[in-house]
Amino acid sequence: MKLSLNWIKDYVKLPDDMDLTRLAYDLTMSTVEVEGAESLAERFDKIIVGEIKEVLPHPNADKLRVCRVDIGEEEIKDIVCGGSNLEAGMKVVVACPGAMVRWHGEGEPVEIKNAKLRGVASFGMICAAVEVGLADLFPAKDDHEIMDVTSFDVPAGTPISKALGLDDIILEIDNKSMTNRPDLWGHYGIAREIAALYDLPLVEFKKYEPDTTCEYDVRIIDSERCPRFIGAKVEGLSIKPSPFEMQSRIWRVGMRPINALVDITNYVMLATGQPTHVYDSNHIIDHIEVRRANEGEILQLLNDKELALSTDDLVISDAEGAVGLAGVMGGAKDSVLPETESVIFECANFESRGIRRTALRYDNRTEASSRYEKAVDPERCDQAVSLAMKLFAELYPNMKVTAYKDLYVNKLQKKEIDVDFDWLDRRLGKRIPQEVVARKLGAMGYDVIFTDKGMHIVVPTWRSTGDVSIKADIMEEVARMYGYENFEATTITTSFDGAINQLDVDLVRKIKEYLAFRSNMQEIFTYPWMTDEFVTALMPSTDGILALATPPAPNERFIRSSLLPNICKAIVKNERNFDEFDIFEEAQIFLDKDYTSNYEGEKLPMQKKHLGCAFVGASDNVTELFRRAKGVIGSMPRYTHMEAFTFEKIEKPYWADETVWLNIMLNGKKIGDLALLSKKAALACGIKVLSAVLVELDMDELVPLKSRTNRYVRMHEFPMNEYDLSFLVDSMIKWDDVYSCVMAKKNELLRDVKFVDEYKGKQIPSGKKSVTIRLIIGSDEKTLTGAEIEQVANSVLKRLSKNISAEIRA
Amino acid sequence: MKEKLEALLREGTAKIEATQSEAELQDVKGALLGKQGSITELLKEIPKLDVSLRPEMGKAINNVKSLLTEQIEGRREALKLKASEISPDFDCTVPGFEPKIGGLHPITQMCYDLNDAFRSMGFEVFSGPEITSEYYAFDNLNFPPNHPARESMDTYWLEGHDSGEANDKLCLRPHLTGDSVRYMQTHKPPYRFVYPGRVYRNETTDARHERAFFQYEALIVDKDFTYTAGKVMIKSILSKVFGQDVPVRMRAGFFPFVEPGFEIDMGCLVCGGKGCSVCKHVGWIEIMPGGTPHPNVLRAAGLDPDEYTGFYVNIGLDRLVMMRYGVDDVRLFHSTDLRFLKQFH
Repeated sequence: MKLSLNWIKDYVKLPDDMDLTRLAYDLTMSTVEVEGAESLAERFDKIIVGEIKEVLPHPNADKLRVCRVDIGEEEIKDIVCGGSNLEAGMKVVVACPGAMVRWHGEGEPVEIKNAKLRGVASFGMICAAVEVGLADLFPAKDDHEIMDVTSFDVPAGTPISKALGLDDIILEIDNKSMTNRPDLWGHYGIAREIAALYDLPLVEFKKYEPDTTCEYDVRIIDSERCPRFIGAKVEGLSIKPSPFEMQSRIWRVGMRPINALVDITNYVMLATGQPTHVYDSNHIIDHIEVRRANEGEILQLLNDKELALSTDDLVISDAEGAVGLAGVMGGAKDSVLPETESVIFECANFESRGIRRTALRYDNRTEASSRYEKAVDPERCDQAVSLAMKLFAELYPNMKVTAYKDLYVNKLQKKEIDVDFDWLDRRLGKRIPQEVVARKLGAMGYDVIFTDKGMHIVVPTWRSTGDVSIKADIMEEVARMYGYENFEATTITTSFDGAINQLDVDLVRKIKEYLAFRSNMQEIFTYPWMTDEFVTALMPSTDGILALATPPAPNERFIRSSLLPNICKAIVKNERNFDEFDIFEEAQIFLDKDYTSNYEGEKLPMQKKHLGCAFVGASDNVTELFRRAKGVIGSMPRYTHMEAFTFEKIEKPYWADETVWLNIMLNGKKIGDLALLSKKAALACGIKVLSAVLVELDMDELVPLKSRTNRYVRMHEFPMNEYDLSFLVDSMIKWDDVYSCVMAKKNELLRDVKFVDEYKGKQIPSGKKSVTIRLIIGSDEKTLTGAEIEQVANSVLKRLSKNISAEIRA
Repeated sequence: MKEKLEALLREGTAKIEATQSEAELQDVKGALLGKQGSITELLKEIPKLDVSLRPEMGKAINNVKSLLTEQIEGRREALKLKASEISPDFDCTVPGFEPKIGGLHPITQMCYDLNDAFRSMGFEVFSGPEITSEYYAFDNLNFPPNHPARESMDTYWLEGHDSGEANDKLCLRPHLTGDSVRYMQTHKPPYRFVYPGRVYRNETTDARHERAFFQYEALIVDKDFTYTAGKVMIKSILSKVFGQDVPVRMRAGFFPFVEPGFEIDMGCLVCGGKGCSVCKHVGWIEIMPGGTPHPNVLRAAGLDPDEYTGFYVNIGLDRLVMMRYGVDDVRLFHSTDLRFLKQFH
């Protein structure tokens, strides 16, 4: 919302030495966020009134003229201009060198410089209204018409801002900062805050007393939705422009002047925050009534939208039908028309929620509806009528109010609040003198009555529509008017009864740090919604997956039941730039089942914390990828201090390769999968070149250890010897088979056996593979001799050849 | 002869010192002390001398010999220590190997930094479910029934759960504040806890706006807590994030779940408060909302608002991380682009 400082000064007399920066700062701190303050005089810097003395032809151009212009200096200036309405004696707007104008009203402002136009030197430029941003106040009949200010009786050389009375400061208020304050949506409301801030007197509106006894026929059918309606028949009017100052004020705060009648209603709204409307009285048949629309009732609005209304809409109607959509916009047929000479003036109060619903239903929010929907109080009508009638009288000295009715059927109850001083002091952390409290509250319109221990406060009507209702609100009023900056920060005290110990929270962090810092993986964040093609690629069906009612995109309806679709999307994205990478994400997944209740009355679908990982690399070395993944996941329990899990083959994940997959098991329960993404699924995802081993794990199932459980093991006193063996076996023989064969009934000197390598291919017969293992052989009593070591190795070889038909490689 | 001997010692010493390798030293040794060495040659000349001079001269020569021998051995030790297998053309300007390392998302990093700070002040870390009922998302938090945030143009309601009573309507949580009530309902006061997490809003996205973002919220509830103590929490967050004391101001702001509510601004670090394009020339940057829990929120949590009060702060981590690193597009955080994420290792 824009506010004119001059307009505010109508209601509160600011000291002449008022520092504007200070005002903006104080308003921001205590009331609303002032986003900017623009001086119009600066905007129109170096733009002045010039008087054309003579219009001469341009020697080199038919459409241009050379104007001899008096700009208040001794020397008459030559200015080249192509205006269609140039005449000697005319007063025009001259942008002198250094001024900022918009060429033909378009683009960014550019600086005017002395220039030669088709060979003739020109001092600055004679402007069209659009070029100095004044087209709304000086509409041009055609593109070449320049702005005519002859009617302003000012000498040449006067700055245009002064000539037009634009010497004003425009404050830009952030609307978001006052959605809860219906009283602030006009100049008067802000003036009241300023008055309270600086202890200045506020101008009051004199209540309007009609001098007619004739009652206008107003009927309120729905008093819940329309607590008050004032209707007045005003005669002796006509359609004409409003006075320049009125137009100018309306324009300065961002609206367009239309004609005197419409301008009066807008002016009243901008001043008081109360919307009003005028209907051509010749079009209003018999009476005005405020009622719900009939289902399908047709109304054409002023902006030509034709609506088929619903019974939830409130309308202003005459005897024949709707003439306006209450609180939103008037009807096209019955509002002000070119021939209007008398009007029905409406100043009404409507219930906020209904207005909001209607405005949203037809996507037709207006200046009026946006004020009503914040809950304007019904007594503001008094201020609005007072100002409107004053303006009618000023603009139309012959006007007469011939019928009048103020129907206030649903009177607003002022809120009443009791506040203890003791409570107030404790919450503020500071004692503010009662006299200051009472003065500040009084200036904002509160009635304060001191009681034994505190105050009985009656809230003014304009704050009683939902804004202020409890003592915490009063505390806020006091604190902000006293100045938040005048309260020093106090320290926080507390008692500790032990260290914070949150094993589950710590485990999540340990896992993420293990993956990132020990396992070289990168954490990613993805959205909770999944893209359809990835869902189709990775899941057998969409059963049990939750969807959004209004998804971000039509193909992003489903919210994740698994982290893998989005991880695959991340693989596709990064495949372009990297040929090897490992990524992980920790996030919640959602399933359309369970609907259990952890909290009061709430039944929520199943939500779990999952870990998803992808180990991505070249397709020709799946073994390496697989072992990388298995190594990272397999070692995770040890490094993150949780109960160990195991790998088993129980149930192949839908998206997994036929052979390369494992389930992750904890205490007999499947808690996750580790598997190669199948070729089919990879292609469906659009993963073109690389292979990926994916892991998904239910983190809610993980069990953190209360403390570390591993024990210290003594270092061996005598050397442990490594002895490598290579042999050929059937290629279907697994490492597990080799391991159990070696370790079963083993010699006590054989301490361990490790996988070193396996090889298939050249020099190895088909159907076979070469396996290299490393035996760890040693004694706790002595250093073994070569012969003793050989003996252990030979016994292993014998067992291998007997049990799994291993052939020793030559 | 004496002069000759002195010259020999002088030259010999210089030659020994000039050697750069043991091989070179061996050559010098040969030339001085070897069979045809200069010293040996001199010794051979002794018989030619007068008998009376012989013992003295012999002594002098042997003295020089042992001096040179000592020097050679000394030099040999020095060369051994100096010896290097490395060729002198070794290039020390070649870059080191990058350690192969992954990393946490920059928002996680910031979140953990803040967790550490709050834990040190005795705060617990809590997290609630991302799908919530309308009851916990709005009703408990004093949002009026017609509040625009409840509408589908602001909040992601779940299909099939987007109508009915407040307990039937489910959405992706639009803020974290609902979780504060969950915590309070299940723990005993006084409270001090943080509850960071992801939140979702139905918005049109651009470089400054996202649909999914990460918030960090903290709440203290205690008896007779004054709102001015909230400043301590705010200062803790900002000094942790920016590594320096940051000027803070609290000004009037309105949010349904707080009364009084504040917009909290920090002094612009780019211009030091003088005004620049980053702070839109006001010297302050709006950084987070905060305030005293509304009595209705405390009631929803089962507390008597006359007895208990407290302070909320809620900070958007995306925005803070953007400021920390100068990131100019909020959408990058969910881009999964490793070229971006690897910059924060």
